[in-house]
Amino acid sequence: MSDFTFCTVQYDSGDWDSAPLVPANLIDSVARYTSISVAPTGVIVPLGSAELFKYPLAYLTGHLPVRFSELERRTLGEYCGRGGMLFVDDHNHDIDGVFHKSAHEEIARAVGPLKELPNTHALYSSFFKFDDGPPATTHELNGWGDNLVHKHLLAVMRGDRISVLYSSKDYSSEWGYHPDNKRFLSVDNTKFGVNIVVYALTR
Amino acid sequence: MTILERVERARRTLRATAIAAAALRGLAAALGILLLSATVDAFVSLPAGARRLVPFVAAATAIALFLRRLSRAGVRADAGSAALWIEARFPSLRYALVTAVDPRYEGRVPEIERAAAQVSFEPAVRRAARRALTGPSIAVAACVLVLLVLPAGAVARVIRPAAGDALSRVRAGSRTNPLASMVVRVSPPAYAGLRDESFDNPASVRALVGSAITLEGVAGDGQVVATLGGSRTSASPSGDRWRLVLAMPSAPAAVRLHAAAHERLLVLEPVPDSAPVVVLTAPARDSILRKPSGRIRLSATASDDYGLASGAFELIVSSGGGENFTFKSRTIGAATFASRSGELAATISLDSIGLQPGDMLHLRAIVRDRNDVTGPGTGTSDTRTLRIARADEYDSVAVDPSPPPEAEKNALSQRMLLMMALALEKKRPQISHATLVGESRSIALDQTRLRKRVGEIVFTRLGEDTGEEGDAVQKRLDQQANPDSVLAAADRAASAAAGTALEGDHDETPLLALNRPLLEAYNAMWSASGELEVGEPGKAVPFMKKALDALQAARSAERIYLRGRTRAVVVDIDRVRLQGKDKGAPGARTPRPAADPSRDDRIRRFDAALRLVRTAPSAAVDSLLLLRLDLLDRDMAAARAIETAANTLRGGHDATSALIRARRALTSVPSAPAPLTSWGSPP
Repeated sequence: MSDFTFCTVQYDSGDWDSAPLVPANLIDSVARYTSISVAPTGVIVPLGSAELFKYPLAYLTGHLPVRFSELERRTLGEYCGRGGMLFVDDHNHDIDGVFHKSAHEEIARAVGPLKELPNTHALYSSFFKFDDGPPATTHELNGWGDNLVHKHLLAVMRGDRISVLYSSKDYSSEWGYHPDNKRFLSVDNTKFGVNIVVYALTR
Repeated sequence: MTILERVERARRTLRATAIAAAALRGLAAALGILLLSATVDAFVSLPAGARRLVPFVAAATAIALFLRRLSRAGVRADAGSAALWIEARFPSLRYALVTAVDPRYEGRVPEIERAAAQVSFEPAVRRAARRALTGPSIAVAACVLVLLVLPAGAVARVIRPAAGDALSRVRAGSRTNPLASMVVRVSPPAYAGLRDESFDNPASVRALVGSAITLEGVAGDGQVVATLGGSRTSASPSGDRWRLVLAMPSAPAAVRLHAAAHERLLVLEPVPDSAPVVVLTAPARDSILRKPSGRIRLSATASDDYGLASGAFELIVSSGGGENFTFKSRTIGAATFASRSGELAATISLDSIGLQPGDMLHLRAIVRDRNDVTGPGTGTSDTRTLRIARADEYDSVAVDPSPPPEAEKNALSQRMLLMMALALEKKRPQISHATLVGESRSIALDQTRLRKRVGEIVFTRLGEDTGEEGDAVQKRLDQQANPDSVLAAADRAASAAAGTALEGDHDETPLLALNRPLLEAYNAMWSASGELEVGEPGKAVPFMKKALDALQAARSAERIYLRGRTRAVVVDIDRVRLQGKDKGAPGARTPRPAADPSRDDRIRRFDAALRLVRTAPSAAVDSLLLLRLDLLDRDMAAARAIETAANTLRGGHDATSALIRARRALTSVPSAPAPLTSWGSPP
C-alpha cells in the first residue's frame, strides 16, 4: 500500500503558496501520533491536473481572490465526485475578505454550496476528540482578521461524507511553523490536522 | 320551345344532379368518418396524433369519393349524351331524339322532330334527379344529426384536436373518478417569454422552476387534495371541474392527488434556468505591467438560455503582502440587455485607480439574467490578473513575491531560548554547577542549530546552494569560520551577484543591506552560543536579546525571494514516529460504500413494481413513477425507460417490452468514476 502524501493545491489565481510549512507540520503530526505510512514531504499539484486524483486529501489556502479556471472547476468537481476531500483554509481569517467570498463562490460553482458542519460531526472525533468543535486559533483569540471566533467549520457534503471542508479560522497561520518547534508548545495545536487527515483516509 | 332546347335543359339538370349527388356522397363519407372517430374516441381515448389526422382523412376521402362518383356518373357535356340518356328511358323514341339533336340533321327531317316533341321526358328527368339526391342527402342529414347529439367537446376533440382537451370527453358525475382524466397546463414565468402548454394525462411534467402548474379535472367522487412535500392543497371547484394551481419546485418532486378512494401521482421535473455564460475576451491573459498608467480595453461576450438582464466588469485591487492585504473593489461598464446574447465593453484608466507598485488588479465580467423568480442567475467570466511590478524587480520577469521563510519563526525560537536562559540563570543558586553547565550546553546546542538556520537563509538569498541540510553553512562552520568571515563571504557574494547595477546606501550593496539584520542576529547568536557552552547563561542573555531584536528587525524588513527557491522541509518520519505526547483514539473504520449503493435498492423497487403489474396496475404505475423520480438526477436513460413503461401501462397497453427495456437500463453497469488511488494504512 502506498504512503499517504500530503497534497497542496496550486491554482492559477491568488497566492496558493502562502503557507509553505503547513504540509511539513501536518506530516510530522501524522507520523507523531498515528501509524499511518506517510511520505516525508508533501507534493504540490495543479488544481487543473489529473495528478490530483492520486491524493485523497488536498489542501488549499491563500489570501487573494480565488478564481478557478473552467478546467480547475471541472477537475475539482470530478475530484470530489471520486471521493476526494478538499480542505480549504482562509489565510486571511476574515469572512469579509475576498478570499472568503471568492472561495465560497468558486466552491459553490464547482462542488456545491458550503453549509455549517455540526460540532458533533465525526470529523471531531476521528482521532483526537474535540468536544467543542473546531479548536480556536491564536489569530481568532487575538481578534485579528474579522475579530470573530468561528464556532463552526463549513462543508460541502456528499451523502454523509465531507467533500470540501472550509475553515475561516486561519489554521494556515496557526500551523505554519517548522515541525521542530512543536516541542516548545505545551499543547500541540496541529492535532486537529491529524483528525482531518485520518477522517479523509478512513471515512 | 324546340326539341333542342328541351334536351339542353334536361342536360343541365342531369349535370347538376350528378355533381350534387357526388358532393353529397363525399360529404356523407367525411361526416361518417368524423362521426366514427368521435364515437370511438368517446369510448377509447384516441391519441392526439391520431385525432389530428382525422380531419385530413375525412377531407381526402370526401374529395376522392366526389371525383370518383363524378367520373362514374359521366358528365353530360353535350346534348347528344343527354338525348341518349333520355332514349334509354324512352325506347319508343327509336333514336328520333338523338337524330333530332344531331347537328348534321338539324331542321332537315321535320317528321322526326315532331315525333320526338310528342314525348314528355321532363318528369322522368326530375324523378331521376330526386332519386339521385335523396340517398346521399339522408346520409348527410343522419350524420349531422348524430354529430349534434354527441357532446360538443367530443366532436371538437376530433374536428379541432388540441393538447389539453382530454376533459372534453369526460362527463361530470358523482360516481366518476375525478382523477381518471386530468389536464395539466404549464404557464412559464413571464421572464422566459415562453408560451403556455397543456398536456393530457401526463405522468410527469417538465417546466421551468417557478412555472405555474395548473391541474384540471372533471368533478366527481370526493374532494381532490394534492400533497406536495409536506403541504396539502385542496382543489377549487370551477363549474363541473376542479382546479389546482402549484408552483414548479426547484427539485424533482411527486404530487400525490387524492379524491375519496382514488389516488394518482404526478411527477414534477423542474428545468433549471442556466446562469449566463460569460467570456472575457480582453484582456486575453494575465500580465505584469511596468507602470500603473495607461488605458486598458475590456470586452466580454455573454449569452443566456432565456435572456440577459444586465452586466458589468468587476475590478478588485489587492494591495499589500504577507499577512496584511487590503482590497478595494468597484464595477465599471455597466450595461443592460434585452436579448439572449450581448457584449460588454469598457475602458479603464490605470491612472484613475491609483495602483501602486506591487498591487494586483483582478478583472472579470459579471452578467445577470432576467430570472426574477429564482434568480437572477449570475454568470462570471474567468478572472484576469494584472500586477504592477515593483521598482526593484524590473531586471527580472521571473521575480515574484514568495512566502517568507522561517525568519519570523526563528524569532519565536530565539525568544524561547532566551526565556530558557533567563530561567536557568534564575535558578542558578539552587542547582549544582554540573547541572548548570549541562542545561546551559543544551540551550547552546539549540542556539547553534538556530544560528545555522539563519545562516542558511542568508546564503539562500545570496544565491548560493546551501543543500538540503545547510551544507554550505556547515562547510563554513567546519572550516572554523567566524562571523566576520561569514559577513565578508556574504558581501562578496552580494557584489558578485548584483554587480554594479545594484547600489545601496553608503558602501553596502542593497543585497547586503537587506540581509544585515539577519547577519547581526547570526553574530549575536554566535556569541551567545559561546557563553552558553561554558555554562554562563547570564552572560549569554544580552547577546540573545540582541539576536532577537535583529530577527524582529528582519521580520519587518521588505523581503524579496526568488520564486521556486522555497526549500522543502523533509520530515524525519522515523525520528518522530509516535513520539507525540498525546494519544488519539481512532474511531472504527467504516468501509467506503460502493460507487452507487442505492442501485440494488432501486432494482428491488422495480421488481416489486413488476409484481404489482398484474394485480394492481395503477399501483405499479405509481411505484414506477416514484422510482423514476429518484433516478432523475443520476440516471436519465433509466428514468426515460421507466417513464415509457409507466405511460404504456397507464394507457392500458402491453408494456412487456417497455418494462424489459426499463429493467435493462436500470441494471446496466453504472458509469461510476474511477476511485482514487490507495493511500496507506489506517492508523
